[in-house]
Amino acid sequence: MAESLLEVSGVEKHFGGVAALRSASLAVEAGEVHALMGENGAGKSTLARIIAGITPADAGSFRVDGEAVTISSPLDSQRLGIGMIHQELDLFPSLSAGENMVIGNLRFQEGHWTGVRRMEAFCRPYFDQVGLTCGVREAAERLSIGQSQLLAIARALSMNARLLLMDEPTSALFDDAVERLFGLIRGLRARGVSVVYVSHKMDEIFRISDRVTVMRDGQTVGTREAASTNTAELIRMMVGRELNLTGGPRERVRGDAVLAVENLSTDRLRDVSFKLHRGEVLGIAGLVGAGRSELGAALFGLDPIRGGRVRLMGSDFQPRSPRDAMRRGVGLVPEDRRTEGLMMSMSVRENAAFATLDRIHPLGLLRPSRERRELEGVSRQVALRCSSPDSSVSRLSGGNQQKVLLARWLLLHPEVLFLDDPTRGIDVGAKQDIYRMVEELSAAGKAVLLVSSELPELLRCCHRILVLREGRVTAIFDTADATQEKIMAAATLVEAQA
Amino acid sequence: MRAILRRAQSAVALLAILVLAVIVSPVAADGSRIFLEAGNLTDILRQISLIGMISLAMTFVILTGGIDLSVGSILALSTSLTAMLLTRAWPTASYGSHIAMAILGSMAVSTLAGAVNGLAIATLKVQPFIVTLASMIGLRGLAKWLTNNENIDIGFGRDVAARFAEIFREKAIVIGAFAGSAAIFWALLDRTVFGRHVRAIGDNEKAAEYAGLPIRRTKVWVYSLTGLLAGVAGVLYASENHQGNPNAGVAYELDAIAAVVIGGTRLSGGKGSISGTIVGTLIMGVLTNMLRLNNVDSNVEMMIKAVIIVLAVAVQRERNG
Repeated sequence: MAESLLEVSGVEKHFGGVAALRSASLAVEAGEVHALMGENGAGKSTLARIIAGITPADAGSFRVDGEAVTISSPLDSQRLGIGMIHQELDLFPSLSAGENMVIGNLRFQEGHWTGVRRMEAFCRPYFDQVGLTCGVREAAERLSIGQSQLLAIARALSMNARLLLMDEPTSALFDDAVERLFGLIRGLRARGVSVVYVSHKMDEIFRISDRVTVMRDGQTVGTREAASTNTAELIRMMVGRELNLTGGPRERVRGDAVLAVENLSTDRLRDVSFKLHRGEVLGIAGLVGAGRSELGAALFGLDPIRGGRVRLMGSDFQPRSPRDAMRRGVGLVPEDRRTEGLMMSMSVRENAAFATLDRIHPLGLLRPSRERRELEGVSRQVALRCSSPDSSVSRLSGGNQQKVLLARWLLLHPEVLFLDDPTRGIDVGAKQDIYRMVEELSAAGKAVLLVSSELPELLRCCHRILVLREGRVTAIFDTADATQEKIMAAATLVEAQA
Repeated sequence: MRAILRRAQSAVALLAILVLAVIVSPVAADGSRIFLEAGNLTDILRQISLIGMISLAMTFVILTGGIDLSVGSILALSTSLTAMLLTRAWPTASYGSHIAMAILGSMAVSTLAGAVNGLAIATLKVQPFIVTLASMIGLRGLAKWLTNNENIDIGFGRDVAARFAEIFREKAIVIGAFAGSAAIFWALLDRTVFGRHVRAIGDNEKAAEYAGLPIRRTKVWVYSLTGLLAGVAGVLYASENHQGNPNAGVAYELDAIAAVVIGGTRLSGGKGSISGTIVGTLIMGVLTNMLRLNNVDSNVEMMIKAVIIVLAVAVQRERNG
C-alpha cells in the first residue's frame, strides 16, 4: 500500500491539568474525504488544530508522504500543503478579499507595493475554482458566511494545500450553501486533494466521506469505511461506555403552568408559543442559529420582546434586564461558560456567589464565611470537585467550571431555569451529574428549559421537546412519542411544510 | 500562596529602593542620613498624597477595565473653585462654615464631573478613553474660563483663605487624608459587594451582564468616586500651593496610571489591589526623593522613572505568565 498522505500517531495535548488528547492518531490517504467524528469535547478540533500547526502538541509523531516532519507553526503546515478552514473562519474582516488571500501566503511574492492587478491575477483562478464571484477589493466583512467560507477555502488552495482540514464547516451554513460546499469538496477530491471533515452530524458524514475516524475522550477509537459502517456503529464508537440513558424523566408531572409563552417575537424569534409546567423539563432542540439561545435571551431580559405575551406564574412578564428576570425567579446558564459565564481570574466561591450577592451579603459587606457555607451545600448538590472554594475557576476542568455556574444559579432558587447546552464539551461523568441535578430540580417542582445539541440527551432528560427552526417552533413532542429522526426532521425540513 | 508571593514582589521592590535610598543618602553634619530623618520621610508621604489619592480611585477605574484621563483637569477645576469660593463667595459667613462650604462645593462639583463621565461611559457606551479624554479637555477649559486663566492667590493676608491654607497644608491633614482614603478604598474593594462588582466587571463584562450585576450603577459610582478624590486632591492642592491654579494637575492622570500598574493592577481590568497601588505610589515617591536628595537633574529623574515603569510591569507579566 502506498504511503499515506498524512499519518499522525500518539498525539497528546494537555490544557492546564486537563488532557484534551491522549494518544490520538489519524491516517489520511491522498484524494479521500476523511471524516473526523466525536462528541463535543472528544478532541477532534484540538487534533485538527495541532495538525494545522496552530496548537503545539505535547507529544506525537507526524509523517507526510511517509517522511517524519515537525509541525510547530501554521507556516510549517502551509509548507507541507496542509490548510485549515476554521469553524469561525479566521479572516481579517476589514481587509479585502484579495488581501485576505495573499496575507501570510508563501506563494504570493509580495513586493513593497501592493498591486491590485497582481493580486487579481493571483486570486482569480482560485476564486473561479471554488465558485466565488466577488471582486478582490470587496471587504471580507461584506461577504456572506458561505462566501467567506469559499474565500477561506480559496486561500488554502492558493497555498497549494493537498490536505484541507475543515472544522464543522456546515455549522453556520444554510441548506443551499451546504450543497454547494459538498459539490466543491467532491470536486477537490476528484483533483486529488484530501479533506479532513470534522463534524458530528451523521447524515453529512455518510453523504460526503469515504472513511470515518471516531474519537472519544481524546483518543482515537477506530477508523471505518463509510460504505461498510452505519450510524448505530458510529454512535456506539463515539459513546463507548453505555451512556446511561435509562432512567429518563419520571412520570409526567403536570403541575400548574409556571410559564406561558404566547406568540413571542423578538428580532430573532417569530410567534413562539409554549407552556412550561411546574416540575417539567422542556427540551429545546434545533440547529445552531435556530433561535435556541435567543429564546433564553428573550426570557432573561437580554433581548427586547417585540411582540406576544409571556406570563410567569400567572402575571405578565416583560423582563428588561437579567436582574429584572432574576428578581422574578428566572435563571439562565449561558451557552459559553468562558465568555458569558465565568470571571476567569476569580475564585470558585466568588463565581458561585454572583447571582445571590444581595441575599448572602444584605448589608453590602462581604462575609466570606457565610459564602463558604452556602457554597458547601450547593457544591454537594452539583457534585463539584475542587481543591478549595478559594481556588481560581481557571484551574478547574470544563465540567467543574460548568458546575460552578450551575451552583451560582441553584443558589438563587429560581422557579424557571434555562440551561443553554450545559453539557457542551464536558466529560461523561460530569454530564451524568448534570442530568441528575436536572432530575432533582424537576422533582422539587422547578421548571427547567434544557437546550442541547445532543438529541439522546434531550430524550433522556426531558418530558417534552420543543423544536425550533429559524426562530419558529416547528414541533413540540412528548418524549414518549419522539425519536431522534422525528426531531431532526422538524429541525431541518422546511420543504415538507412549504 | 502565589497571590501572596505576587503581592510580596512589589513590596520587595519597594524595600530594595528604600535600602538603596538609605545607602546613597547624603549625610548630615552629625553623621545621620538625611533620607532617614523624620522630616524627610513625612515629606515623601506628603508629596505622594495627592497623586496617591487619585491613584486609589484610578485603581477602581482600571479594575473595571476603564481609564480616567480627566483626573488632572478635575483637580484643576476643584482647586480653582476652592480658591474662588474662599475669596469671592459668602463674604459674610463665619470662617468655619465658609471653609466648609468652599470645600464641600468643590468636592460636589468634582464628584458631579466624575458622575457625568460615568454616565456617558455606562449609558452611551462610549469607550472610557474617549469620554475622559473629552472631559480632560473640556474641564480644563472650564477651569480656565472660570478663572480667566489666572491663578487665584490665597492665604497671603489675614482672611478666611489664609486660615484655610494654614489648616489644610498641615502634613498631618494631607497624609491623613491619603491614609484615610486608602483605608476606605481598601475596605470597599476587599470587603464589599460593590468592590466585588468592580472586579467582576473588569474580568468579564459580558458574564457580569449574564449574572445580573448592576454594571451601569457600578461604573457611575466608580467614576464619581474618582471625581470625588480628584476633587479632594484639588482642595489640598489649593492650600498647599496658596493658590487656585487652572493649570494645575497636568499629567497627573499619567502618574496615577503609572502608580497603579507598578502596583500590579492589570490594565485590562479584573485583577489588582489597593495595597499594590499604595506600594506603587510609594516606589515612585521614594525614588523621586532619593534622586532629589542627590541633586539628580529632574529630566534625568523622568528618564529613570520611565525605565522603572516598564521594568516593574515586565517583571509582573513574567510572573503572571
